[in-house]
Amino acid sequence: MAASMELRCWGGDWGLPSVHTDSLIVLAYAKFSGVKLTVTPIDWTWKTLTGTVPELVFQASTVTEPAQILNFLRKQRFNADYELSARQGADTMAYIALLEEKLRPALLHTFWVDAENYASLTRPWFASRSPFPLNFLVPGHHANTALSRILLTKAESPLNTITEVEGKIYSEAKECLNLLSHRLGTAYYFFGNTPCSLDAFVFGFVAPLHKANLPSSPLQNHLRQLANLQRFCDHILNAHFSTHPGSPQPVEETVDANLQKLTQLVNKESNLIEKMDDNLRSSPQHKPLRSDPRPSRDNDQSSTPA
Amino acid sequence: MSLAAEAFVSQISAADPWPENATLYQPLGEDQILLSDCASSLAVQAYLRMCNLPVQVCCRPNAEYMSPSGKVPFVHVGNQVVSELGPIVQFTKAKGHSLSDGLDDIQRAEMKAYMELVNNMLLTAELYIQWCDYNTAAEISRPRYSSPYSWPLNHILAYQKQWEVRRKMTAIGWAGKSLEQVYEDVSQCCQALSQRLGTQPYFFNKQPTELDALVFGHLFTLLTTRLTSDELREKVKSYSNLLAFCRRIEQSYFEDSQAGSSSRGFSKGPSLF
Repeated sequence: MAASMELRCWGGDWGLPSVHTDSLIVLAYAKFSGVKLTVTPIDWTWKTLTGTVPELVFQASTVTEPAQILNFLRKQRFNADYELSARQGADTMAYIALLEEKLRPALLHTFWVDAENYASLTRPWFASRSPFPLNFLVPGHHANTALSRILLTKAESPLNTITEVEGKIYSEAKECLNLLSHRLGTAYYFFGNTPCSLDAFVFGFVAPLHKANLPSSPLQNHLRQLANLQRFCDHILNAHFSTHPGSPQPVEETVDANLQKLTQLVNKESNLIEKMDDNLRSSPQHKPLRSDPRPSRDNDQSSTPA
Repeated sequence: MSLAAEAFVSQISAADPWPENATLYQPLGEDQILLSDCASSLAVQAYLRMCNLPVQVCCRPNAEYMSPSGKVPFVHVGNQVVSELGPIVQFTKAKGHSLSDGLDDIQRAEMKAYMELVNNMLLTAELYIQWCDYNTAAEISRPRYSSPYSWPLNHILAYQKQWEVRRKMTAIGWAGKSLEQVYEDVSQCCQALSQRLGTQPYFFNKQPTELDALVFGHLFTLLTTRLTSDELREKVKSYSNLLAFCRRIEQSYFEDSQAGSSSRGFSKGPSLF
């Protein structure tokens, strides 16, 4: 175990160590079990398109997928579920299945399929983290994967369109958040006083929803009403991921949030103008002027690390 | 149907009592039905029996195409058609029949979580074995699935279904799994269920819930269906409390009617006794 393990994952932003659910799960579990990982963000490399994320490299072997990586770490004697009873282990499996079945489709939809979120948050972020020619490919590639996964797993017949399944996946996801909130109650962690793999999974699924500045999200609004789940995320971030509590990080965050809000406003405004333009078709001379500065401003803003 | 419309209709229908002539549709029990559909159908039948709601089982070769969601089984109650266990549970609840009313919030969360575990692991594994294992697909699934149709429709429909399931497996990351890994997943799922059940008669002690119906439907089907290999059955059999659990539900909810009525419809051959 002298050799260090290397984890390749998407980089962090929005006050999170990674913006990617599966990467977050592994990062959180690594903190809980005390394993020292060398984290290599794949940002600005060709791995953004070719790599499977997250990926753990140890000596000659590579492991992908959070569940497999967690198993691998357990075999290396980094076990955060050490104190759980067999019954609690069974509960962990069941709740992870609940997250996968009920929350993941809506999460994918919120970040990748919802047009407003995709255009103003997800696409600029992932485009700005990919190297030059790939920035045109990576976001679209992820969005297509997300859309086809939702349709294949949740659509009732192969011919259903996305709007027909939206209502169903969001109501299921809201119910799932309610169930998690009931299960968590007022505790800091799901089982006892120490975090375990279920906490890592819930954190990975809920934290991006909690932290991202989504312009439109019924799911995020729903999460805002579940104070204990929000506190759960904040507590894990403070207790396990902040290197020096009370640092200027939060200030930067608010500045960042304000900037993001400003960008969103500008975006909305320019969208509006665009629509008016399209309707009236009376001021063609404005188009080249406006469409130019907007994307660059977008990129500048969203690439500022939190 | 949109969610709002669904909610509206279920509000209206709530007033009507459960009719005598309610019907459950499934594919042909003897020659056509596949492992996963059989498990889902049995789960719904077990649930309705636990609620004490009479239902007539009707086998149709085109049940899949009759269903509003394209999935079997579905029930036809009065002028309503509802498919799959989840919506059927909500539908009966609207009519005032519920098995999970006695549970508190945490228990309900736990029940939902374990139901998703069964769907996520057992149902997916059944689909994988049926359509992605080469031998099972060629020897059992494709011939049975296409049995009511003549050439060339039988080949077209069977391959179309297989393609559809394989795309789904790719999307959820199961396409790369080997059969051994899938057996291992089933085994892990059974172990979790076995741990959760412990020595209790039902998952939430004395009273059965929809979780018990769902687990019974899947495990009983896995235990009684002949596949290309016996490995899956042996894996489930090694959990003695789950075996006893299946026997208990079979005895208390399916025994009485076995004497003469055809209400079970499900091929009577298999039994745990």
